[in-house]
Amino acid sequence: MAIRSMFLRILWKLLGASRGRLAVALIALTSGAAICSALLNVNLDAERKLTQEFRTLGANVVIAPPAGGSEAALADAGVLDRIAALRLPQILATAPYLYVAANSGTQPVILAGTWFDQVAKMNSWWKLEGGWVSSRDDHEHCLVGSTAARQLGLAPGSSVQLRSGDHNISLTVAGIVTTGGGEDNQILTNLDSAQTLAGLSGRVSLVQLSVSGAPTEIEGVTRKLADNLPGLDVRPVRQIAAAEGTILGRIRGLIFWTIALILVLSMLGVLASMAALAMERRRDVGLMKALGGTVPRIMRLFLAEAGTLGAVGGMLGFLIGVLLARWIGERIFGVVISARFEVLPITIALTIGVALAGAFPLRLLGRVRPAEILRGE
Amino acid sequence: MAPLVQVEQLEKRFGEVRALDRVSFNVEAGEWIAIMGPSGSGKTTLINILGGLDHPSGGRVVVDGLEIGNLGERELTRYRADKIGFVFQQFHLVPYLTALENVMLAQYFHSITDEKEAAEALNRVGLSDRLNHVPAELSGGEQQRVAIARALINQPKVILADEPTGNLDEANEAVVLKLLHELHHAGHTILVVTHSHAIGNLADRRIELEHGRLARISAPTSAPSLAKE
Repeated sequence: MAIRSMFLRILWKLLGASRGRLAVALIALTSGAAICSALLNVNLDAERKLTQEFRTLGANVVIAPPAGGSEAALADAGVLDRIAALRLPQILATAPYLYVAANSGTQPVILAGTWFDQVAKMNSWWKLEGGWVSSRDDHEHCLVGSTAARQLGLAPGSSVQLRSGDHNISLTVAGIVTTGGGEDNQILTNLDSAQTLAGLSGRVSLVQLSVSGAPTEIEGVTRKLADNLPGLDVRPVRQIAAAEGTILGRIRGLIFWTIALILVLSMLGVLASMAALAMERRRDVGLMKALGGTVPRIMRLFLAEAGTLGAVGGMLGFLIGVLLARWIGERIFGVVISARFEVLPITIALTIGVALAGAFPLRLLGRVRPAEILRGE
Repeated sequence: MAPLVQVEQLEKRFGEVRALDRVSFNVEAGEWIAIMGPSGSGKTTLINILGGLDHPSGGRVVVDGLEIGNLGERELTRYRADKIGFVFQQFHLVPYLTALENVMLAQYFHSITDEKEAAEALNRVGLSDRLNHVPAELSGGEQQRVAIARALINQPKVILADEPTGNLDEANEAVVLKLLHELHHAGHTILVVTHSHAIGNLADRRIELEHGRLARISAPTSAPSLAKE
């Protein structure tokens, strides 16, 4: 007990004796810790924010009858009720599609029946000329893909007559959409209208889903859907999942390497202070060795001093980092990034590690030869 | 009974330079020895080897039954903590520790700290009112008395003092000499490196070195006196 109390007493005096140099080291450690803490906070929250942003970029899961099946590969529209019954919070939008081969006059065209309110949620990036069809119960309006509109000579406000087999429907063009995908060649309308035209009531070709979360979370949802929808293929859209994964991976990588760089810079700052401190302490170490102090026992004092600096720098840095993360969140993501307390122990551990690595010059003091120091060499 | 310190054919070379050349002498327990000689004669080298701060190049040094030439770094550190009390010309106190803590530092590296015992040691050297002063707040003489208290705190077998009064004025020199005299009377074994004939006359014997060689071992030339030289 007396030994520990003396250890703490000397440690306290060491901290007080070199306030100037240690303050410089503490500033370096706190700055590094603040940036690490901010980036770690942003990383944890940014992943959630980015996956939300990704969900405006189109469906990332598709449910369809197995390829090569009978009944022209159509699914029962009851699948939509079964999906809804699962109440999976990760599913942000569900858009069924029924594709019907139709004719506009003599021109063949694909009519896609869907739910416009859901399509809007997952495809906010579509370019629209004219108006959107806001209700899934609107049986009078349609959207026309830009290529199809050009071929059929359609513009917003035009009427279009569609025929499939013995059935006819008449629709008014609400808007022209440019998607860069297959929809550019299609006419999109209400699901019921397409089913009526094709005489396929209660049938859908496929269901597109927008599922939020990291790639692993999306895979989990996909598995759950597949388990609950026997006889149907549930497939993640690989390109989108892969692109999301790549972007998240790159952001993680960027944050990791930035943190590594910041830690190295902090360590160099600490190293410079500690090198000067080591020169000042050569005489003290020589004396301590002459008095019978073993190298490990003397080094424990200096490493405890560096560790204390690291812990204090880590804690201060965490607090500053939380504020910094909040600022970054507001500026970049337009949202408040909340403090993640799991970042605190990581920040402290990293900062203590940096402080101990930066204390390397003090470790070299173990080589001091007391006879030379006490002679004044 | 074997002498407390046995030095046989001791050699220390720094490259081509022989700092100590086949030096031999014994010191009995309780003796006060003055090591004298001109600058560069090897006095400090001798005391560094006796204190385990330096290694001999040849010969034998046995202190309290331990042949220190055979000891590794770790054992030498233990030897210094257990058997040696150092007093240096420049005092060598840790500047950010108080007088009390400087004494306790020696306890800390030896075994356990005892604040009361450290305070008593400072009281014995007349510094009971300076316990919580840092070295910068103490006079040279007071600093040297702290160093003496620190040297004594672990009851060492030998006190090695290298020019202990070299940085002191006459008044403080007298105080320190009185302390050494009292320690001698209390039975401590003391080896003092000095240029001062006053200290040499206080010692039981004088070991005189010249060019690293033992020139002579002599008794004091006058009766011991604590009066100024």
